[in-house]
Amino acid sequence: MSDHPVTLGRFDAEEARLAGLKPADLLSLGLAAALILLPLLVGGSWIFALGVCFANSIGVLAVSVLVRYGGEVSIGHSFFAAVGAYSVAVLDTRFGLSLLASLPLALALGVVSGVAFAWPSRKLSGIYLAVSTMALALAVPELINNADGLTGGYEGLYVSQPVIPGIAMSLQRYYAALIVLVAVVYGLARLRHSRQGLQLLLAKAHPAAADAFGTRRVWARVAVMGISGGIAALCGAMLGFAGSTVSPSGFTLWSSIFLLVGSVVSFYGLSLPRALVGGAFLTLVPQFLSASGAWIPVLYGLALLGMILLGHYLPRLRAMIADRKGGV
Amino acid sequence: MTGILRDLFPLVWSGMITGCLYALGALGLVMIFKSSRVVNFSHGNVAGFAAFLIYGFSSGMIMELSWGAAVLLAVLAVIAIAFMTYAVISPLVFESDLTATIATLGIGLIAQGATLLIFGADIVSLDLPVPRFSMSVLGLFITGYDLTVLAVAVVTIGALFFVIDHTKLGIAFRAISENPFAAEVCGLNLRSVHLFSWIVAAVLGVVGALLIVPTTFLSVTTVAAFMLQAFAAAVIGGFGSLPGALLGGILIGVLMNLFTFYVSPEFSSTFLLGVILLALNIFPNGILERVGGTRV
Amino acid sequence: MDVVTNALKGEGIALSFGGIEVLKGLDVEFRAGEITGLIGPNGAGKTSLFNCLTGAYAPQKGTITYAGQSLDGLPPAARASRGIVRSFQHVALSPDLTVLENVMIGVARNHHAGWQHVFLPTRRGREEMARMRADAEQALAELGLAGAADKLPAELPPGMLRLVEIARAIVGRPQVLLLDEPAAGLNNAETRDLMRSLKSLCSPDLVMVVVEHDMDLVMSICDRIYVLNFGAFVACGTPQQVRQDEDVVRIYLGSDDD
Repeated sequence: MSDHPVTLGRFDAEEARLAGLKPADLLSLGLAAALILLPLLVGGSWIFALGVCFANSIGVLAVSVLVRYGGEVSIGHSFFAAVGAYSVAVLDTRFGLSLLASLPLALALGVVSGVAFAWPSRKLSGIYLAVSTMALALAVPELINNADGLTGGYEGLYVSQPVIPGIAMSLQRYYAALIVLVAVVYGLARLRHSRQGLQLLLAKAHPAAADAFGTRRVWARVAVMGISGGIAALCGAMLGFAGSTVSPSGFTLWSSIFLLVGSVVSFYGLSLPRALVGGAFLTLVPQFLSASGAWIPVLYGLALLGMILLGHYLPRLRAMIADRKGGV
Repeated sequence: MTGILRDLFPLVWSGMITGCLYALGALGLVMIFKSSRVVNFSHGNVAGFAAFLIYGFSSGMIMELSWGAAVLLAVLAVIAIAFMTYAVISPLVFESDLTATIATLGIGLIAQGATLLIFGADIVSLDLPVPRFSMSVLGLFITGYDLTVLAVAVVTIGALFFVIDHTKLGIAFRAISENPFAAEVCGLNLRSVHLFSWIVAAVLGVVGALLIVPTTFLSVTTVAAFMLQAFAAAVIGGFGSLPGALLGGILIGVLMNLFTFYVSPEFSSTFLLGVILLALNIFPNGILERVGGTRV
Repeated sequence: MDVVTNALKGEGIALSFGGIEVLKGLDVEFRAGEITGLIGPNGAGKTSLFNCLTGAYAPQKGTITYAGQSLDGLPPAARASRGIVRSFQHVALSPDLTVLENVMIGVARNHHAGWQHVFLPTRRGREEMARMRADAEQALAELGLAGAADKLPAELPPGMLRLVEIARAIVGRPQVLLLDEPAAGLNNAETRDLMRSLKSLCSPDLVMVVVEHDMDLVMSICDRIYVLNFGAFVACGTPQQVRQDEDVVRIYLGSDDD
């Protein structure tokens, strides 16, 4: 039993062939266009929830990219998200700088912390890495609380600087999150067809083969964690900006586990529709269940199990159906 | 110098006591990992659920039973949960250990939600029916609770090692954790050994939870949080060694105590992160690997 | 002579695992312009020798040089960048990538565009990918695989996958090509095609080494053959010489004739 098979994490035939492709691209473009126009149709609370949904979708992508390109599972991405969120919130409240300045900083710090975590854990994989990421997530809230001079401790910080002064803040929160989400999806689509992307995918499937063709394992791990950490930091930044507040309770081990749930629910997809499915699951389920919060973990747990079992049995079912058809 | 020593002994002593509890949790994690290569992330949440069940059965919230009967019922409930968990996860275990490990996160979420749904988010207290006394030995302040923990831990762990060394199931467990394929070829039933380890782990978790709760109070997150130390203990022991888990638990208990007292109580999780990363890099197979000759 | 200086040489290579000697001080010279065969029974140490040559294992004793320069201590990736590449006994392609993309990885080591070219639509990134694609297409065409370029590995029969492996190994114009059982799993027709392809790859600058069980293939394409048994060479020479060597006939070829 290998450590890497996360069985859902395969690019299926169509998806790979859809190299420069048509139908899936059209769906994504249509979806993006619909989301651009949506604020004309729906009201304020929906706009707010969708902004947070886009931010969560980015976080889901961060976890999925690690699964797809690294073959690894993380339950510690709240760490990188917190790095991004506090970059935005601290620059906003302490220095009065807007997202234009803080977003690049969030990205850079996210990449750096991804790399900084990847280095000491470079030899770990599978469940050992998962346990390390868990420890990473656990350290986050206390680190934030103990730096309360900067982070505001338990109470958190309020993000209020507009990107473009004069435009309604609610629209800015919505569109900024949407733009970053689309940019991340675009970047990941480019990664799939880049030299580095190919090398990472070979290193995931056959590290020894990748090594024999000049791709060192450590490079692959550090690169994947850097990308994933950077995207997670963008998620945190947009959670802060679109959600308007940043506090330690948003970056716990549970937040990390929820991001993984979102990733599993989206079948580790890296496209815009898949990411939105994961993000919507994380944002809208709590909205609908706000009356009885205790159902949230139950529902998330069931969804996680359900999707994993579906991923396990679906190929078998397909094969059975194909057999039956072939037999007739 | 004498000042340091005066602080040091009680710190080490109380660290060893909590360390025994971490070891109980870690032993469960290691049992499951050794037999089925799955890291059971639901361990803490299920044990926490069991602690709440004991509270519910004995406080009159659900029933008003004696403490012993409540514990017995809760243990039965936990065994049933372990059984169901394994039923859900077993098809995954044979395919990918990582996928099965993610699935245990789902079980943990459900256990946590069920606790919230049935018992709410309130804090309750759950005491042990132990004699309340204390004494002072060589400058150590020893309480009845300390002795109870020590006695229960020694008896439980001793019984566990006896079962593994001398019973048929225990021998099958050892064979399978050495080489699952060969063991199966020899006619050992993997599934029954897996189930054995899941059930034993669940019971160890309940024992650990029962003993830890009196030191704080019982809330949805108490036991789950305590299990994180158990994870660190298992990692230090190499995740595949029962004596390693025992030693790791005690080591974590003592180190955490020393760290919070001498360095800072506010960075204990960060300290654990450092310990885990360091241990995984320096002793990827556990601290006992160099010493060799591990028993189980 | 040029041919001799470009050789891949091993001197006194000794490797052991936990006290068991796998390779017992081997002296070996693989010359450019020749196809060298490496044969021997299962467990003789052929793949271990390969792994020493590529840097996957570090032999306890002995040195390995290519064109007079020592390779000792260099990790596999660094040897790859010197043009020493291999194929794998068990097909090691990424299931997520198309055949063409898998082969493109074979030239990746010759390209160095940075991360900005990954995420931004730059001209350099585009040109680099186009060059890699063109090289890979050419390598696939050389092995008669042009039609399979856009297929996924899972859609191809094992025989074709072995050829894809070889395409990935040759696409970067290697100096040393180490092929680990290239004909395993191929049927007769595919093996004949493979032999023709390997012959045509032969060039004066290329060191080619083939580990293989298929005696017909080894005897017909190799210029020189080393016979390995229990970690030591029993014989070395032209196919004719090896065929007539009594030791070889006894331990290895003899069993085929029975």
